[in-house]
Amino acid sequence: MSFIEIDNVWQEYGAHVVLERLDLVVDEGEFCTLVGASGCGKSTFLRLLLGQEAPSRGTIRMEGKALVAEPDPDRGVVFQRYSVFPHLNVRDNVVLGLELPQSRFWGRLFGRKKRAARQEATALLEKVGLSQALGKYPYQLSGGMQQRLAIAQAFIMKPRVLLLDEPFGALDPGVRKDMHALILELWRETGLTVFMVTHDLAEGFNLGTRLLVFDRTRQDPQAPEAYGARVTYDIPLNADRHASRKHLAALSSRILGRTSPTFPEGANA
Amino acid sequence: MRFINRHPGRGNQLLLALLPFILLLAAYFSGSAARLQDNSDDKLLPSAAQMAAAIDRAAFREDRRSGEYILWNDTAASLARLGMGLGIAACAGLALGIISGAFPLLRAGLSPFLAVASMIPPLAILPILFIVFGLDELSKVMLIVIGITPILARDLEQKAREIPRELFVKAQTLGANSWTLVLRMMLPQLCCRLFISLRLMLGPAWLFLISAEAISATAGLGYRIFLVRRYLAMDTILPYVAWITLLAWLMDYLLRQINRRCFPWSEGAET
Amino acid sequence: MQNNRLSRLAARVTTLCAIGCLVAFSLPAVGESKKSFNVCWTIYAGWVPWGYVDSSGIIDKWARKYGIDIRITQINDVGEALNQYAAGKFDACSMTNMDALIVPVVGGVDTTALVVGSYSDGGDGVVIKGKGKTLKDLKGMSVYLPELTVSHYLLARGLETAGLRERDVKVVNTSDADLVAAYDTGNVLAAVAWNPQLMTLKARPDTMEIFNSHQIPGEIIDIMVANTRVLKDNPALGKALTGAWYEVMAMIKAGNAEALEAMAKSSGTDLASYRAQLKNTHLFHTPQENLVFVTSPDLIKTMRRVAQFSFEKGLLGEGAKNAEAIGMSFPGGVTLGDKKRILFRFDDAFIRMAIKGGL
Repeated sequence: MSFIEIDNVWQEYGAHVVLERLDLVVDEGEFCTLVGASGCGKSTFLRLLLGQEAPSRGTIRMEGKALVAEPDPDRGVVFQRYSVFPHLNVRDNVVLGLELPQSRFWGRLFGRKKRAARQEATALLEKVGLSQALGKYPYQLSGGMQQRLAIAQAFIMKPRVLLLDEPFGALDPGVRKDMHALILELWRETGLTVFMVTHDLAEGFNLGTRLLVFDRTRQDPQAPEAYGARVTYDIPLNADRHASRKHLAALSSRILGRTSPTFPEGANA
Repeated sequence: MRFINRHPGRGNQLLLALLPFILLLAAYFSGSAARLQDNSDDKLLPSAAQMAAAIDRAAFREDRRSGEYILWNDTAASLARLGMGLGIAACAGLALGIISGAFPLLRAGLSPFLAVASMIPPLAILPILFIVFGLDELSKVMLIVIGITPILARDLEQKAREIPRELFVKAQTLGANSWTLVLRMMLPQLCCRLFISLRLMLGPAWLFLISAEAISATAGLGYRIFLVRRYLAMDTILPYVAWITLLAWLMDYLLRQINRRCFPWSEGAET
Repeated sequence: MQNNRLSRLAARVTTLCAIGCLVAFSLPAVGESKKSFNVCWTIYAGWVPWGYVDSSGIIDKWARKYGIDIRITQINDVGEALNQYAAGKFDACSMTNMDALIVPVVGGVDTTALVVGSYSDGGDGVVIKGKGKTLKDLKGMSVYLPELTVSHYLLARGLETAGLRERDVKVVNTSDADLVAAYDTGNVLAAVAWNPQLMTLKARPDTMEIFNSHQIPGEIIDIMVANTRVLKDNPALGKALTGAWYEVMAMIKAGNAEALEAMAKSSGTDLASYRAQLKNTHLFHTPQENLVFVTSPDLIKTMRRVAQFSFEKGLLGEGAKNAEAIGMSFPGGVTLGDKKRILFRFDDAFIRMAIKGGL
C-alpha cells in the first residue's frame, strides 16, 4: 500500500475551480517539489495535505486512512514567513513542540521534564546552526536564521510528512544554498516525506526526487476560473539519491529499528 | 528649502516644546493679575501664591472638619477605584478579546454585540447603572468597567485576528489543543497589546471616574473638584487638575515601562 | 498614540488659553454707566416668573421706559449661573441667600439683594424611606444630598432641632440632577432635595418627609441679586427689574391663567404641578409684603445663621477667622459682621419706590 494516495481530488471556492481531478500516489520518503505558475493551486494542494482545508471532492488517504481535516503533529510545516512565534526566544520556540503534546492543560513542562526538553531542543538547534542564538527573539534573527529555526521547530516533532511552502523564497541566493544543504541533510537522516512548493525551477530540480508540475489543461478565455489545475508533468529525479536513501533507510531499520530513523553522520549519498 | 524639509535643532526643539506651556502660563497669569488687581477676592483666576496656599491646605494640613489630609485621601480613593476598574476591565477585555478573536463559533455570537456595546455612551445609562449596581463604590468601578471593556475587547479581538493564520497552523502542528493554543500563543501576544490598549484607555477611564465621583461620593479627586466648584474655588481646582494630569502621565509611563520590561520581544516584532 | 495624547494636550492648552484671554479681556468696565445689561436665572419655582418677565416682553417695556436694554438668559446649571455672575458675565442673577453669600460675596463681588422674591416654604425637604420615622432616625445613616447647598443647610437646621449634630450622620455628596435616580437604588435610605425633585421623591411609595423648609420659614430665600457697583452707576437697571417683577407678581396674585400656564410650561411641567410647587414657595405678591420681610429683624438672624453655617463648612474663605468675616448691611443702616468689608447688601430703596408708585 502506498503512503499517500490522492484520489480524484477537486478544490473549488464557489464557481472558482482551483484543482481538478487530481490523482497522485506518493511513497514514503519521497521529496516532491511542486512547481507551476502563480495561482495554479500548489499552495492550495499543500493546505489540503496539511489539513488546513478539506477538498471539495475526492479523498486523500495517508496509510489507507482518510486524512484528518485539521493540522496535527504528524505533518510539520514551514511557511515563507510567520513560521516562528515572535514572543518566544529561539530555544523556547523549539521547546514548545515538546511541551504542547506532553502537557495538555498547561502547555508547559516543569522541573526535570523541562530540562530534558531544553536539552533536546538545544541539541537540534546546534545541528541547524543556531547554538549561538538560543536566547534571541525572532526579530533579532536574519531571514535565513528564522527559517533555520522554523525547520528545527518542525523537525523536533518528528513528523511523517513535512510541508514546505516556498520556505526559501525570501532568502539571498547564498543563504538559500546553505538551506538546501540543511534540508537535504535532515531529510536523509529522518526519512520523512517532503512536499515543497517552490517558484525556483532549479531548486525544484535540484532538491526533489520527484518534480510535480501544476498547470491548467483546459482553458476558457471567457471564464478563466472555470477549470482548475492538474499535475501535468510528474518527473522522477535524482534517482540515485532516492535509491541510496532507501537503501540506507532499510539498513538502518534492520540495524537500528524503525523507532529512531536517524542516519549515520556523514553518510551522504 | 521647502518647509516640509526643515527640522528644528536640538536647542530649538526644546524651546518649541516649551513654548505653548510658556504662552499658556503667561496668558493665565496676566489674566489672573488683571482680575486680582480689580478685585483682590476674585476666585476665578487665582494667583500662584493662592494656589500654593490651597495645595498646602489640601496636602500638608489636616482638614479642619474631618481631620484628614484631603488631597491624599482623595487620591487614594480615586486611585483605588481607577485601579479596580482598569483591572477588571483589563481581565474582562482580554478574556472577551481572546474568546472572540480565537474561536469563530463564539466570535459569531460575540463580535456584533461588542461592536454595538462599545458604541453605548456609558454616562447616558448612568441611572440604570445606579439601579443595578447601587450608589456605592461598585457603581463607580462599574462605570469605568462598562465604559472601557467593550473597546478593549474589540481592540484585542482585532489584534487576535491580526495574528497570522500561519502561526495558528504552526501551533497545531506542534500539538497544541484549543486551550493550550490560547494559553501559549495568544495570551502572551495579546497581553502585550493589552498594555498598549490600556494606555490609550487611561483618558476615558479618568473621565468616567471623575464623572462617577461628581454624581455621588464622599471622597475622590472628582468629588473634590465638583464640590468646590460650587463655590468657585479655582485655587483648589487648578492644582487638582494639574495633579490628575501628572497622575495620568505617571500611569502611562508605568504601563510603558511594564510593557518594555515584560515583553522585550515586542519592540521589533512584526506581529 | 503619542500623537493622540499630544493633540489632547494641545486641545486642553488651547481651551485654557482661550478662557484666560476671554476672562482677562472681559473685565467689567469700572464705574461707567452703560446701556445694556445681562441678567440670568435658573429653573426653580420662585424664579420661573423671571422667565415670564422675559418671554412676555414685560421686561422690554420697562427697559424702554428707562432707555436701557436688558437681556435675560436662562442657565441650566445653578452652579454655572453662580460662577458666571461671580466672574462678571452677568450684572444680575437669581440665587439663594446662601449661594449669594458663599460664591459671589466671598469672591469679593459686592452684591445687592435687589428683588427678594420668595422664600422656600416646604420647597426643600428631608425624606426617608420607611414609616413612622423622625429626624432622630437619621442618626448613623448616610444622607444623600448636594453638599454645600441649601439642602445641606436644611439638614443641619433639621438635625439641630432634633438635638443631633452633622457628625451624627454621613453626608454623601450627590448632584441634584441625579438625586432622583440615586434615591431609587436600594442603598439610599435618606435624602435632601428641593423642588421639583422633592415632589418626585415624596411621591415614591414607602417614603416620608421628616423635615422641610416650612419649619424654618424665611431662611432659604430666593433672590434676584445684582452687582452693587453696576446698580449704583445704573439705578435704571434696578428700577426696570423691580417694576417688571411686581407687574408679574400682580398677575400671579390675580390668577392670570395665561401667565401661570406660560410659567408652568417654562418650568417643564403642567399647571397643576406648578401650582403645587408654588404652594411650597412663599411669593411676596406685593412690595408691601416684601418690605415687611426685608426690614424684619428675623432676616438678620437668618443671615447670621447662614454665615455661621458657611463658616463652619470653611466656605467663608480660608482667611476667615469667624462668621463675622464678611460684612452685610440691612435696611435702616443695620450691619452684621465686618463693617469695613460690607459686601452683601439688603436694600429697601427700590421696594419703597415701588410702593410709592415711583417706578
